Amino acid sequence: MGLNDIASTLLLAVAAFFYLAGTVGLLRFPDVHSRLHALTKADNLGLLFVCLAMALLSGSARVAALLAVVWLLALVASAVSAHLVARRALQFDPQAPAPAEHRAEPPA
Amino acid sequence: MTLALDALLALALLALALGAVAGAALFRSIVMFIVFGVVLALAWGRIGAPDLALAEAAIGAGLTGALLLVSYRRLVRTTPRRTPRSRPAARLALPLGLLSAALVLGLGASGFGLEDTTTAGAGTVAVPSTAGQAVLAEMASLPLDNPVTAVLLIFRGYDTLLELTVLLAAYLGARLALGGSPPLSARSAPAALPMVGALLAIVVPLSALVSLHLLHAGSDAPGGAFQGGAVLAAAGVLLVLSGRLRAIGSAPTSQRLLLVLGTLTFLGFALAARLVGAALFTLPGMWAIYLIESALLLSIALTLVLLFAAGGGLAWGRE
Repeated sequence: MGLNDIASTLLLAVAAFFYLAGTVGLLRFPDVHSRLHALTKADNLGLLFVCLAMALLSGSARVAALLAVVWLLALVASAVSAHLVARRALQFDPQAPAPAEHRAEPPA
Repeated sequence: MTLALDALLALALLALALGAVAGAALFRSIVMFIVFGVVLALAWGRIGAPDLALAEAAIGAGLTGALLLVSYRRLVRTTPRRTPRSRPAARLALPLGLLSAALVLGLGASGFGLEDTTTAGAGTVAVPSTAGQAVLAEMASLPLDNPVTAVLLIFRGYDTLLELTVLLAAYLGARLALGGSPPLSARSAPAALPMVGALLAIVVPLSALVSLHLLHAGSDAPGGAFQGGAVLAAAGVLLVLSGRLRAIGSAPTSQRLLLVLGTLTFLGFALAARLVGAALFTLPGMWAIYLIESALLLSIALTLVLLFAAGGGLAWGRE
């Protein structure tokens, strides 16, 4: 087992920890907003560490660059979809704590 | 370790399939079905079928999921104040399940049979009775490197033409079933949100790029018109969802032509071969394959977006 393998195994373990934390948060947190927080924050980090481990294992700059693109796209998608889900949840539940300018927005 | 992974995939597939069919709430069933598609794509990848994995992820999980969700939304809209329940036809479920299981077992058993004959033979000698071996043996004489594309366009062109016709017929059937009911307005993702605009600015050009790449790669790597069309259609679905594109009742002539362009191009080449004395579906060369695949990609993408938007045509902007 080379240094590369050990490093990528460690990275994968860290990724597994973040995914686990995100999933536990999704299941245990009380409302939509905190669940979204758990999912987007923790899973994005999990994906980052998976991508890092894969890049190390592949040992090729091209694959590493592609993995970076994959991670960035997932980041953009999760940020926007979390934003949309949160917005929608706010419209259904105006009691949820939120900044005033958001609450004043009329439902689209 | 790999056995554990495969067993996990198989178990997950069974559990997800059960959840999708036997779940009490329709929405839950739809979500289960989408996750089932994603896991199935992984399973195809595991058994070395990246073409199928791509198609399953793009069409089976992605676009079918989007279609199911938009149908659900329409269902909730038309029958308000009650969550639609998933009602599996209980009387049919058992016989259908048994038949499917028998089919899977039969296919699996025939697969094992094939493997036995190949290994029992003299190692690398192809078994002439199996179609897959015949295709692999013929590959050297073809300009293509991807056996899947070769089967789709050269060996089984007739089947591919029928698949396209089925897609077109499905769209026409949906149009008929929908009648004059107005298309759903995009209200979940307001067009004015800056984040949505930023996402579209990144994702739509990238989708077009990936779609073209899949089309081009199809000749010697996993990819092709179906996968490329699905990726392009996904960009179209995003544009519809965000209100950049809207469905209109009747399409301009250009869009009607685009809908049938793939089928007509393919059919034209298939019949033209007859005119010059070759067998039906004989393609004159690589350029014809690229031309057909491009036409197929555009038609498939437009058909899928129109199915999603539930309209006769598309127009830019809001009402």
